[in-house]
Amino acid sequence: MTEVAVIDYGGGNIASVVNALWRAGADPKVVARPEDIAKAERAVLPGVGAAGAALDRLRGRGIDTALDELRRAGRPLLGICVGMQVLADDLREFGSHRGLGWTRGQVVKLDNDPATGARVPHMGWSAIAPVGQGGGWFEESAASRYYYFCHSYKLTQDGAATIATADHAGRFSAAVAFDTVLAVQFHPEKSAMNGQRFLEKFLDWKP
Amino acid sequence: MKSCAKCVMPETAETLTYDDQGVCTVCRQIEFKQTAINWNAREVELKAIADSARGKGDYDCILPFSGGKDSTYTLWYVVKKLKLKPLVVKFDHGFMRATVLENNLRTFRTLGVDVHTFTPNWQIVRKLMFEALRRRGDFCWHCHTGIFAYPMWVALEKKVPLVIWGEPSAEYSSFYDYDEIEEVDDRRFNSVVNLGINAEDMIGMLDDKVSDYRVTLRDLKPYTYPPARDLRQIKLRSMCLGSYIPWDVKTQVELIKAELGWKGDQVEGVPPEYDYEKIECFMQGVRDYLKYLKRGFGRTTHVTSIDIRNGRMTREQAAELVEEYDGKRPGSLDIFLKYLGLNEDEFIETVLPHVVPPHEMPTAEQIAASRMNKEPWDFEHWPRTVGDPRIDVAGS
Repeated sequence: MTEVAVIDYGGGNIASVVNALWRAGADPKVVARPEDIAKAERAVLPGVGAAGAALDRLRGRGIDTALDELRRAGRPLLGICVGMQVLADDLREFGSHRGLGWTRGQVVKLDNDPATGARVPHMGWSAIAPVGQGGGWFEESAASRYYYFCHSYKLTQDGAATIATADHAGRFSAAVAFDTVLAVQFHPEKSAMNGQRFLEKFLDWKP
Repeated sequence: MKSCAKCVMPETAETLTYDDQGVCTVCRQIEFKQTAINWNAREVELKAIADSARGKGDYDCILPFSGGKDSTYTLWYVVKKLKLKPLVVKFDHGFMRATVLENNLRTFRTLGVDVHTFTPNWQIVRKLMFEALRRRGDFCWHCHTGIFAYPMWVALEKKVPLVIWGEPSAEYSSFYDYDEIEEVDDRRFNSVVNLGINAEDMIGMLDDKVSDYRVTLRDLKPYTYPPARDLRQIKLRSMCLGSYIPWDVKTQVELIKAELGWKGDQVEGVPPEYDYEKIECFMQGVRDYLKYLKRGFGRTTHVTSIDIRNGRMTREQAAELVEEYDGKRPGSLDIFLKYLGLNEDEFIETVLPHVVPPHEMPTAEQIAASRMNKEPWDFEHWPRTVGDPRIDVAGS
């Protein structure tokens, strides 16, 4: 049985993440105290809403330090949506915020593009394109490339950690991976079978 | 009725669409399979899967088996090429024939394998056949859900985390594309196999029309898919051999004939040169006839289309065979009607709501004139026992 902690920092609805991990075969535990987060075998950082408020809550509860400890101990973390964005160093969302700085890059607002019909928020199914080390995380077939997105901000980076991009009035990082950290802009918990398989891979991941 | 510009599949076939050249999606998939897939790379993947499965538990894999050409070839490949120790799982649908049983015995003894056979409650089978016929115009629900669900329960109970099936569905239909590695899982079960009716639905639908046998949900467990979470917890993979090696029915039949002494058989509505097709079920004639009544084509359309795609037949040759063999009323229909206590008019009435336009149901006169003139050699031996003393003892 894979042990996995889902971090509850008041960031929104975590039930769908817990349920998706359960369906993937794990026994997820919801944890809120920094000491429980720091000693988790592996952890998921979900996130909904504004990244600035999320960062304030993480720091106010000492979860940022607990995440550092988790990472130092070499235990895997999966960030989802805002849980990905807070890992960047510079967030431009309702003002400027200093992120956790685990990965370089800027989080900026998505653009509207009347020509392609891209509107903010970007909400729905979009195809991702694996890049760099992404081959191991995403399958080959066209049908397996679709994931569910719901966001108004995007992570742009120089590509160092990006393992998949998606397009919404320009390409952005749909997934990043570096040492023991995996983070995705899409919602695997809402991405049906493709998301399920992705979560299974995270649960099996031994970085 | 419109049909494919390359093969002879008509527009009433499930999942098919045609491109701007009038060629169907299955023909295009087979072209993709023959030209765009790196089969060498896929075979390397297959070897890796086999290597990681070998020698771990009591069995290396579960091998669902009917005794037809595809599962026989799959079993041969798994034992001889992949060097795996399978547990063969046979779901007995109730209509096995003498030749296939002899083939099975020879295959099991030659390859040296353990075999687990399950025969479901016949009274429940009767009720399920009738309900599925009434709801979907397809009486095979019990067999199709059983053959795909039951081996998964065996895998779970015996903790064998690999199930190997034969050809992927992309070989014959367009639910899945050949570019994805088709996982034979709950998603596929619910979208392709169970006609949109799960066991819980069935419980609410069954009545006492053909049998007053009481059925509860536990009785339908062999027809339900195990919980996906339970399968994931044993890290089960359920894959098709045909996703990793290029499926080629004719070559494979030659191989099992040579290596295992496998024998073909006569099948109602199938030209004798296709003696390897669907020999494992004496209700096949009824199934194919139902397809003809509903969709205007039968087994010959299907098998000749495969030959066209593989460059072994012209469309004109196929059309001649289709004309000669498709749509004849099979003798097995009388046995089927006896099982369900239906007369022919009731049968036609039951099928009528399931006809797929633009095909139209043949008239009563056309049906009466289309009787098959030859019954397979073992026809007299197909069991007529209904399991209802009022019918069986009164004699027919």
